Amino acid sequence: MKLLRPVLLNVFTWSLVFLIAFPLVWMIVTSLKPQSELFRIPPTWIPESVTFEHYWRLLSETPFLRYFRNSVVLATTTTLFVVALGTLGAYSLVRFTYRGRETLALLVLFTYLLPSVVLIIPLYLMMVTLGLSNTLFSLILAHTTFALPYALWLLRSFMEGIPEDLENAALVDGATRIGAFRDVIFPQLLPGIISTALFTFILSWNEYLYALVLVNSDAVAPLTTGVMSMLISAFNIEWSLLMAASVMMSLPLIVVFAFLQSYLTSGFGAGGVKG
Amino acid sequence: MANVIFKDVHKSFGSFVALEKLDLDIRDGEFVALLGPSGCGKSTTLRMLAGLDFPTSGEISIGGRVVNDLAPGKRDIAMVFQSYALYPHMTVGENIGYPLKKRGIKGAARAEAVQKAADLLQLGALLDRKPKQLSGGQQQRVALGRALVREPQVFLLDEPLSNLDAKLRSYMRAELIELHRRLGKTMVYVTHDQLEAMTMASRIAVMHGGHVQQFDTPDAIYNRPANRFVAGFIGTPPMNQVEGTVEGGDFVIAGHRVPIDRTAYSADLHDGPAVLGVRPEAISIGSGEGLPATVRLAENTGHETIVTLELPDKRRISARVEAARRLDVGQPVALRLDPAAIHLFEATENGARLNLDDTPASVIPMRST
Ligand SMILES: Nc1ncnc2c1ncn2[C@@H]1O[C@H](COP(=O)(O)OP(=O)(O)OP(=O)(O)O)[C@@H](O)[C@H]1O
Ligand SMILES: [Mg+2]
Repeated sequence: MKLLRPVLLNVFTWSLVFLIAFPLVWMIVTSLKPQSELFRIPPTWIPESVTFEHYWRLLSETPFLRYFRNSVVLATTTTLFVVALGTLGAYSLVRFTYRGRETLALLVLFTYLLPSVVLIIPLYLMMVTLGLSNTLFSLILAHTTFALPYALWLLRSFMEGIPEDLENAALVDGATRIGAFRDVIFPQLLPGIISTALFTFILSWNEYLYALVLVNSDAVAPLTTGVMSMLISAFNIEWSLLMAASVMMSLPLIVVFAFLQSYLTSGFGAGGVKG
Repeated sequence: MANVIFKDVHKSFGSFVALEKLDLDIRDGEFVALLGPSGCGKSTTLRMLAGLDFPTSGEISIGGRVVNDLAPGKRDIAMVFQSYALYPHMTVGENIGYPLKKRGIKGAARAEAVQKAADLLQLGALLDRKPKQLSGGQQQRVALGRALVREPQVFLLDEPLSNLDAKLRSYMRAELIELHRRLGKTMVYVTHDQLEAMTMASRIAVMHGGHVQQFDTPDAIYNRPANRFVAGFIGTPPMNQVEGTVEGGDFVIAGHRVPIDRTAYSADLHDGPAVLGVRPEAISIGSGEGLPATVRLAENTGHETIVTLELPDKRRISARVEAARRLDVGQPVALRLDPAAIHLFEATENGARLNLDDTPASVIPMRST
C-alpha cells in the first residue's frame, strides 16, 4: 500500500505531462518531416529524414516575417501600455483615499467578467468612428482594454504588499513623489510588473478573435490570423508549413518564459501572501 | 531657529478621534519626549509634524513657518520610523546615504558622512549588507543612521531604541544625548519607555487618549503630576492612589485617619471624597501608630525591596524599602505617610491634582467616559 501511492501519483503525473506535451512534440516532428513522409500510415515517430525545407519556404516565400513583426509590435506595445496604465492605476487605488475607490476597483473587475465577444462589435464600431479600423493601433487598443483589468488587480495586490512607510521615508528623505516611486516603489514592484508584462504579452501574442474581427488587411495582420488565412483554405491545409509556423510562433514565448519563470510563478501566488 | 508649535490641532480618522486639541510649544534646540501608552497618538503627532498625515484642523509650524501644506521633503526634518522603513533593495550604506543623495551630496563627501554615521552606530562592518540580512536591532540602528546622517532642523524619532538590548540601549541613549548636546538641534522623541523619557528629555509631553495630559520637565512630571493619569503612569511602581474622604485636617481611609496639611492644597479641596496619592518611597513601614496594613508580598530586586501591602479594606498599595529590611508575608505593620509627600486629587476618573506647589502648564482633564 505504501508503495502504491507514489507509483500511482507518478503514473498520473506523467500521463498528464504526456497529454500536454504530445501535441507539442508532434508539432515539432511534423514540421521537420519531408512532404512525402507526412501522411504515411502507420505514422513515423522519428522522421526518416530531417528537413528544414518548410522553415525555409515559410521565411522566403510567405509573408510570415511580416506577420511576425506585426505580432511583436502588437504584443510589445500592448504590454507597455498595460504595464504603464496598470501601475499608475494600482498606485492610485492603493495609495490615495477618495470616494468610490473600492467601487471603482470592483467595476474594473466587472468589465473583465464580460465575455469578449460582447465587446467586439461595439469596439469595432468605435474604431471605425475613430478612423482606426484596419490598423495595428486599433488592435493595440483592443488588447489593452481586455488585458488591463486583470493587470490592474494583479499589480494592486503587489502594491498592497509594499509598506506605505517605505514611500513615506523616501519623501521625508527629500525625494519627490515621482522620485520616491522610482527609487523605492518601482524596485519593490518589479516582480509584479514582470509577471503582469508576461501575462499581457502572452495574451496579446495568442489573441485570435479580436484580430480576426478588427483587422482584415493582410498588411497589419498578426501571426494568429495571418498564418491561419495564409495556410488554411476551404480546400487545403498546408500541414507542414502550419506546423513550422506554429513552432516559430511558440519560440519567443518559450524563451521568455524560461528566463522569467520564477517571477511568473511568484506573480500567480501574489494575491495570497502579503508581506 | 527651529521651534515647533502645534496650535489647537485635531486629528480624526473617520469618526475616530485620535488627537483632540493638541497644543505643544517646543523650543528651538529642545529635546522633547512624547510619552504615553500604546495607541495614545504619539506616532500620529510625529507623522503630522513630518507631513505624512494631515491635521483635521489646527496649525503646525516649524521655525515660525506654518507647514500644514508643505511637502515632507521641504520641511528639513529627518525621521526614524517605528517600522524602520528600510529600503529592502538597497544596502545598509545606500540606505544611510539616501537622504544625502536626494540632496545632491555626492562622492567622497557622502561616503564620509555615511561612514561617520555607521561608526557612531557600530554598523561599520555591515555597510554592504541588505536589510534582510540584519537582526532587528541592527535594522533599527540603520534606520537611526539614515536620520542622523544629515543635520536637519528637527529630528523626529519614533521609538528608535525599542528593539535594542539593554546594553546597546543605554549606550545609544548616551550617544543621542551627546549628539543632541553637540548639534543643538530640536529633537522630538517618541517612546513608551518612561526611563528613556526621564533621562533624555528636557521636557516630556505625557499623552493619553488623544490628549496631552501634562507637558513639563521630568522633575515636574515626577514630583508634581498634573492628574491621576500622569501620577499612575510615571514611576515603577507608580504612585499609589487611594480613594477616601477629606475630613478637616485628616484624610480618612477605611475609617483610619491620615493627617494632612490643609494649607498645602488649593481652595478647591473641600471636605468630602478625594483621592490620596503617595509614591512608594514616601511610605515608611513601622509598628504602633499609623495606618494598619498587612504585608502581602516582598520583592527584593537586589538594591531595594518593593513591598505590596494590604489595607484593612483589602485595597493594595506598594512601598519601597531598603533591600536589607526583613518583612514576612502576613506580618501586620503600621504605615506612616509623610504629609509633605501627600498629593490629593479630585475624586473623578482622571482627577486634577489639588496641591498648591504648582500651576500645571497644560492640563486637560481626560474625557470622562
Ligand atoms: N490610518 C489610520 N486609520 C485609522 N486609525 C488610525 C490610523 N492611524 C492611527 N490610528 C489610530 O489612532 C490612534 C493613535 O495611533 P498612533 O499610531 O499615533 O499610536 P501610538 O501612540 O504611536 O501607539 P504605539 O505606541 O502603539 O506606536 C490609535 O488608536 C490608532 O488605532
Ligand atoms: Mg507609534
